[in-house]
Amino acid sequence: MLETVAQAVINGLLIGGIYALVSIGVTLIFGVVKIVNFAQGEFVMIGMYLSFYLSTQFGIDPIASLVITMPVLFVAGVLIQHFLIRRVLGPNDMPQIFLTFALSLLLLNLALMLFTANYRTVHTSYSDEAFHLGGLYIPVAKLIAFVVAMFLSGALWVFLHTTDLGKAMRAASQNRDVATLMGINPNRVFCVALGIALALAGAAGSLLMPFYSAYPFVGQVFVLMAFVAVVLGTLGNVMGALIASLMMGIAESLGIQYVGADSGLLVVFAMLLLTLAFKPNGLGGGRAR
Amino acid sequence: MDKTNKWSVLSIAALAAIALALPLLVTSSFAINILIRILLFSFLGVAWNLMGGYAKQLSLGHAAYFGLGAYTSTIMQVDFGISPWIGMVAGGVVAMLASLPIGWLCFRLRGPYFTIATIATAQALMLIFLKFRDFAWGAEGTTIPNLGNAPLMMQFEAKSAYYYVVLGLLAIGLAVTYTIENSWIGYYLVAIGEDEDAAEAIGVNAPSIKRNIYMISAFLTALAGTFYTQYIYFIDPATAFSFNISIEAALVSIVGGIGTLWGPVIGTVLLETTSTLLQSWLGSSIGGLQLTVYSLILMAVILWRPTGLIGIVGEAYQRYLRRRPVRA
Repeated sequence: MLETVAQAVINGLLIGGIYALVSIGVTLIFGVVKIVNFAQGEFVMIGMYLSFYLSTQFGIDPIASLVITMPVLFVAGVLIQHFLIRRVLGPNDMPQIFLTFALSLLLLNLALMLFTANYRTVHTSYSDEAFHLGGLYIPVAKLIAFVVAMFLSGALWVFLHTTDLGKAMRAASQNRDVATLMGINPNRVFCVALGIALALAGAAGSLLMPFYSAYPFVGQVFVLMAFVAVVLGTLGNVMGALIASLMMGIAESLGIQYVGADSGLLVVFAMLLLTLAFKPNGLGGGRAR
Repeated sequence: MDKTNKWSVLSIAALAAIALALPLLVTSSFAINILIRILLFSFLGVAWNLMGGYAKQLSLGHAAYFGLGAYTSTIMQVDFGISPWIGMVAGGVVAMLASLPIGWLCFRLRGPYFTIATIATAQALMLIFLKFRDFAWGAEGTTIPNLGNAPLMMQFEAKSAYYYVVLGLLAIGLAVTYTIENSWIGYYLVAIGEDEDAAEAIGVNAPSIKRNIYMISAFLTALAGTFYTQYIYFIDPATAFSFNISIEAALVSIVGGIGTLWGPVIGTVLLETTSTLLQSWLGSSIGGLQLTVYSLILMAVILWRPTGLIGIVGEAYQRYLRRRPVRA
């Protein structure tokens, strides 16, 4: 009994690391640029397909392909901010919501046309390996993904707190007008925020590839999780998103274990609705706007 | 009666006459099917527009009410033999009641997070109906028993009959919108859409107005759900609560022009015509093509015409009016 619970918690925690990468991206964009990127999940999908093709065409290990997917998606993020999102930033949030939503629809359906709806998998030497710890079972691929995800989250935290650019980003998220008056170029900061967020999504894609199938709709699973985690963790709060993602991973895994295999998502939605009902500003407090 | 007013009455009368006569001229069932789709999605857009357009509460979860309407009437018909005409109204009432708790939850958030919460509620309802095996057929869904030509059970042999039903729905939707637009509620809604805090500061009871308009929007959306199920003779959670329904309702309104009476209709005509032309041009349907094109149109509209395409039509009409020689 206790072992089953422990196993479910471990499974949830490991996948929660991936959710964290996606939700940190969403919360970073929300905090700095003040928009919600509905297309965040589609960049996870793009990261997965990039890793898939790098692996099948060039024999590059999916996790190692992170060094390619992250820079590629960073550049994509900068371009999207500069050419698309910059044009709809304003007091009215309707264009912002529907621009990123249209981007999500576009990428998803382009993927459907280019790659078809088939599931793609990469089999690595460590895909089926696992550690046995007492009665517990820890898959190697998921463990690597979790460790790398935590390393990247930590690196982002260090970046935001020690470098000038990182401090500029935090300043812009606290008060954009004052930050601009202090000589911070908002568009440059926004470009970097989008770049980092998409790079994290790309990293999530590469890390998923050894144990998860790529298909055009795969991003939707992750983006829904990320939205819930971002609300739970208080909008715009990177640390909150990280902790909430890990919790959500565990809750989903327990839901699958005790409610039914198809109920993981239902548990997550229930969590979102309960949060909205009782803690609309996130578990840590703060403003929900 | 001033001149523009007289002209708009005349043009609406002409439009109604064309809409009523169209099935007499167009007899191919392929074309009628497209016309029905256009009217149905226009109606969905009109229902969405009350909430999303006038009050700018951008819901992407209207499939919740579409599905509730569809399931209510189908359960009443299949299990109890009650006519879908009654089921349709019952479905609307169920959707209205459901919109109360859903709205209570979602209105706690604003802007994009309201949107996300609405997506989550619609998806949650779909997951719940997938689990309802005992009285709602679970994931397999069910077919509606075909009774041949039974107008009292909302089943017709002639496709044109469906056309008139959905045309009637659209007319109701437009009439409701017109009435609201021209009443004090309409002004309050626009004030909420512009700036909710400012609207409340001058005494608009925003929560109550939003709740009421959400109920009307949900009611109308549920009617569309019943009609659609009767039209395709089939229901399952994936079609009744399809995210695409939520998307389409919002999409046609934004492309046409949100917060305007005719915006959703113009948007639907443009999008449905484009998709039909594309499909006939490319022969067979390619998975993802239709939504790829829709999303490109949506992006173009947001970047270059954020008020929607109705502006173009309006400008052309104004130019036409100005160029017309003034008679004594």
